[in-house]
Amino acid sequence: MTLRFSLLAVPLLASAQDPGAQAVAVLEQRCHQCHDARTRMAGIALTSSAEVTAARDRIVAAIGYQAKVKMPPNGRLGSGEAAALTSWIGAGAPWKAGTGASRAASGHWAFQPVRRPAVPGAGLPVDAFIDAKLRERAMRAAPEASRETLIRRATYDLHGLPPSYDEIQSFVRDPNPSAYRDVLDRLLASPRYGEKWGKHWLDLVRYGDTSGFEQDPYLLYAWRYRDWVIKSFNDDKPYDRFVKEQIAGDELYPEEPEAQQGTGYYTIGTNRDMLYKVEDINRVETLTDFVDTTSSVFLGLTAGCARCHDHKFDPIPQRDYYRLQAIFAPFQKTRVFLHYDMARGYDLQENTRTFRLHETGAQLSALLDPHRKALREARLAQLAPAVGEAFATPDDRKTPEQKALFEANAKKVEPSDDQVFARLSKDELAQLHEIERRLVGIYKNYAPGPFSPGLTDAGREAPRTYLPAKGGGDGEEVGPGFPGALGGGDIPEPPRDSATTRRRKALAEWIASPANPLTTRVMVNRIWQYHFGRGLISTPSDFGTRAGAPSHPELLEWLASELVERKWSVKEMHRTIMLSAAYRRSPRLPPAAPERDPENSLLSHFTRRRLEAEEIRDSVLMAAGSLNGKRGGRPVVPPLALEELYGMSQPVGNAWIVTAGRAEHDRRTIYMISRRNFRMPLMEAFDRPEGVLSCARRDSSTTAPQSLSLLNGPFTLAQAGALASRLETAGHPVAAAWRAALGRDPSAEEAGRARAFLDRQTANLGSRQAALVELSRGLFNLNEFLYVE
Amino acid sequence: MNGPVSRREWLDRASRGFGGVALASMLRGAPAGRARNVIYIFNHGGVSHVDTFDPKPTLARLSGQTVPASFAEGLKTSRIDFRKAIMRGSPWEFHKHGDSGLEISSLFPHLSKHAGRLAVVRSCHGDAFDHAPAIFLRCTGTQFPGRPGIGSWMAYGLGSENKNLPSFVVMSDGAMKSGAGAYGAGFLPASYQGTVFRAGKSPVLNLATPDGVTAAAQKETLDFVNSMNRSHFASREDDSTLDARIKAYELAYRMQAEAPGAVDVDSESEVTRKLYGLDEPVTADFGRKCLLARRLVERGVRFVQIFLGTNLGDDWDDAHNDLWGSHIKMTKKSDRPIAALLTDLQGRGLLDSTLVVWNGEFGRTPLAEGKNGRDHHPYGFSMWMAGAGIQGGRALGATDEFGLRAVDQPKTIHDVNASILRMTGVDHTKLTWRYQGRDQRLTDVHGEGEFTGWLLGQA
Repeated sequence: MTLRFSLLAVPLLASAQDPGAQAVAVLEQRCHQCHDARTRMAGIALTSSAEVTAARDRIVAAIGYQAKVKMPPNGRLGSGEAAALTSWIGAGAPWKAGTGASRAASGHWAFQPVRRPAVPGAGLPVDAFIDAKLRERAMRAAPEASRETLIRRATYDLHGLPPSYDEIQSFVRDPNPSAYRDVLDRLLASPRYGEKWGKHWLDLVRYGDTSGFEQDPYLLYAWRYRDWVIKSFNDDKPYDRFVKEQIAGDELYPEEPEAQQGTGYYTIGTNRDMLYKVEDINRVETLTDFVDTTSSVFLGLTAGCARCHDHKFDPIPQRDYYRLQAIFAPFQKTRVFLHYDMARGYDLQENTRTFRLHETGAQLSALLDPHRKALREARLAQLAPAVGEAFATPDDRKTPEQKALFEANAKKVEPSDDQVFARLSKDELAQLHEIERRLVGIYKNYAPGPFSPGLTDAGREAPRTYLPAKGGGDGEEVGPGFPGALGGGDIPEPPRDSATTRRRKALAEWIASPANPLTTRVMVNRIWQYHFGRGLISTPSDFGTRAGAPSHPELLEWLASELVERKWSVKEMHRTIMLSAAYRRSPRLPPAAPERDPENSLLSHFTRRRLEAEEIRDSVLMAAGSLNGKRGGRPVVPPLALEELYGMSQPVGNAWIVTAGRAEHDRRTIYMISRRNFRMPLMEAFDRPEGVLSCARRDSSTTAPQSLSLLNGPFTLAQAGALASRLETAGHPVAAAWRAALGRDPSAEEAGRARAFLDRQTANLGSRQAALVELSRGLFNLNEFLYVE
Repeated sequence: MNGPVSRREWLDRASRGFGGVALASMLRGAPAGRARNVIYIFNHGGVSHVDTFDPKPTLARLSGQTVPASFAEGLKTSRIDFRKAIMRGSPWEFHKHGDSGLEISSLFPHLSKHAGRLAVVRSCHGDAFDHAPAIFLRCTGTQFPGRPGIGSWMAYGLGSENKNLPSFVVMSDGAMKSGAGAYGAGFLPASYQGTVFRAGKSPVLNLATPDGVTAAAQKETLDFVNSMNRSHFASREDDSTLDARIKAYELAYRMQAEAPGAVDVDSESEVTRKLYGLDEPVTADFGRKCLLARRLVERGVRFVQIFLGTNLGDDWDDAHNDLWGSHIKMTKKSDRPIAALLTDLQGRGLLDSTLVVWNGEFGRTPLAEGKNGRDHHPYGFSMWMAGAGIQGGRALGATDEFGLRAVDQPKTIHDVNASILRMTGVDHTKLTWRYQGRDQRLTDVHGEGEFTGWLLGQA
């Protein structure tokens, strides 16, 4: 199979003797992507003699690269191409039917249908493709990694946690030829798998538990979407179905609440309702978020640029952007009732409860306000008369001086609850206790309702969508549809009896189709990237013309087609990739690798990676023996030191309500609250994304603050203490420490070093226990601990 | 510049310590400023321009009336109706100061003595009229979170002069209306993140050796980590990231040694401490921040950003219902320390290489909100810059006669940021990072209104 991956080199298939054919070939291969009848960027189409002639001066100026508009934007035409085009235009652009290649072949490779290539050789297909490239470059591959390395790699990749010492030992000793496959099967069947791969997805869909912006209020039920994502991965929900449930679960599966939970996807981003106190602006910004995130997550398209103008590099005219926006225009955020009856029951209870609370509030005021007022007045009487006057003057009549006096003293004169309670008579105290008892009764068994955040349409009619007009305001109206460069197509009106516009349904079916050229390519490339650290395309959410060529184009095609062959099973893709020799290689560099392939894009060996932020925290908990494996539920708020909570936009008492129960704090990081305005310092230091924009690939930086936080931070200290107390009771504390933190036994030399260390630290700190804490703290900071290879 | 892939590679290498290396040398060119460091004071909450740096006699004269309908058209904020709200003249007097005669209100008696050093921009404008979006816009270039702050861009562009201190330091009064995203690294690597310096002897989070661990024990543990990491590295010498992490621990150790000294304001002379108002409760806190800023740039920190005002305490934004009280309170806190900073930088020969920026979210409405207040106002407002060769005592641009709209030489935040970058020798169109398919810039596709030439008195 030949695919053309470069737009810069135009193979002039047309005969050089026919300048007309050559000119048309240039148009088709370098211009039509943005300027054909469908795309029509900047209103220009170059598909007939008349159109070319009409735009003659603009074309000549643009390809000359001297004027402001320089075309093609991704690289100037070669001088031969430019000459052929110019002279042909000069001759009146005589268009001969049937010249040049077909448009389909000339467009950007990623927009063409996926075609399954033949596998070049025997053995596992993945290896056949990889090895062919290595042979081409005369490079050798590294041998297979040791079993210890392999099981650690596989366990981190699928669980985000290290294997236990026993798991490593049993794999190392397993004589069965299927030992490795068995490990993969075990890992894929464990619910920890969804906790790792769900996190990748949550990065992509900009998940967070709060809204963002100044008030940063809670997205109270976002965690249900988080749990739905984890469960979807664990259930190996076919990827096409996973996509459909998120984009249009409400329209496609009206009888299945669990499927509708997928539409939480729209609601767990930064909540732009918090942007301004102006509804129209917020709604437009929400639509923008939907278009940008959806096109980048599912399609690998950076459509966002086309909001304000035709896309500069990709064939996405502004019109196409607004056609996509029109799909979401009728949206309405909603609650998915997980069980209709229970949800209604909950609402009814809530209704009564609220009425009762209004009454309780009134009773409390009646009981306490007189005492509060008396206390306040007694204190005011002790202050200067001017203060009392300031308090007595109604707010809107206060002079600036009175206002200042009022503010300066307002807190001072306000009595505390305890002071008020101290004044209550026996009878009043009894009344207070009665109210307290009633409150406890009201909140008995209080729990989140059976709802999940979701999205649907407000009805069958959609608000109209317009292109922005040049001078501001609304321009031409556009209807819902798909980008022309991807085949286009309008979305028809829904049937008369439809409750929704069915626009997202059409979008979901269009994306989750084997015929969509981007969906499968983008997803298999993501899976590949999460295994190897780098995708076959290195820009995982940009498959546009600036993406660069894939390192292994045919492998990408094969994997994309394989995803459909395997019924869209993501777990099958893991097996396909992880069983390959390419995945199982040692990290040791084979000869010539550094010179011929410094980035290791040909995969001659395995690229070592640093643990991600969550993996670091989870691994420390696991090594310390503290990890609480409880799954799902409300986000956990772990205790942090006050200095760690610095810079929050809201009072810590409201924004960091610590979860009760020590064991809760030791759960996996995916269950810790992810506030939009605040990341836990350890997470922030180790490159966890902010959860504001879709993140397709995390950075892996190396900084001194990372060392400071892992060495001196309260979390490390607490967990080092936990590990140390386990070591104290172990027969061989040094061996036990190595097994817990590194999954192996220490060498004799290491054991000696560690014992000497413990002796010196016992002398330094005055206790063996303190020395063991230091040893544990040290182990958590080792590169061997922090890297997977 | 090289292609995107190799540049990314280069940056990955550069990001392993604090900040990059000399990217600046690749960007320098064209007439530009000579700032090596920037001290950026960001006013959190919105300062009223017509009460500080933008005198409007007409407003005072017509106080109590509404503005002509044509002026009100198209203006909106959350709380006032521009067609109905009445004009309010400033309760403060404006005076001409120094040889230049630059007009500044009586809210800044100390700063006014530096009038000859200030280049005021009276024609700032934007469209974000609420706090969080406005802070993001002014600090990162868009009204949404998720993008790098200007300090992160500078750290990336200029690298560090002091390997033992971060290149971008932030001091704030605590709760930010935007959260920490205003000084986040966005899509840049975490190494360019603003490092928050807090009060006290251990300014950086987790800098101090943990309680109960002696210095000797800490050293012992670090040595253990180091020796284990070196043995591990011995069989993996091809992987420089492992070596970089070994060095990160060494750097962390040096930071533990150097940072407490950098923040030790007690080592300053009595005269200096007094100058910044450390002896007065009202100025002590902000004075300490300004003094620290000088000590940090002295030690090679590239970008120091000080946020004045907090969401949960003293704030310019109390001007909603108390213009008088809020602006007196905030200028009492900050006027003397800022003036001291300019005096001190000048006295030590640092002003010539240090750009001082005073900027904020937006101005406040020249029209009254309620009885005693002014609302947010992004359509025309003021900022100023000084130092690094700037010709002071001048004002650029103007708002209309009511102080409503920037009408002469309107300047967006992109124009301002382009100028700040240029003042440090960086071309804003060339400082880029590939993200989501584009070479992203602090100034997006804007910044054509850059005014460095004017700042330097060359235009």
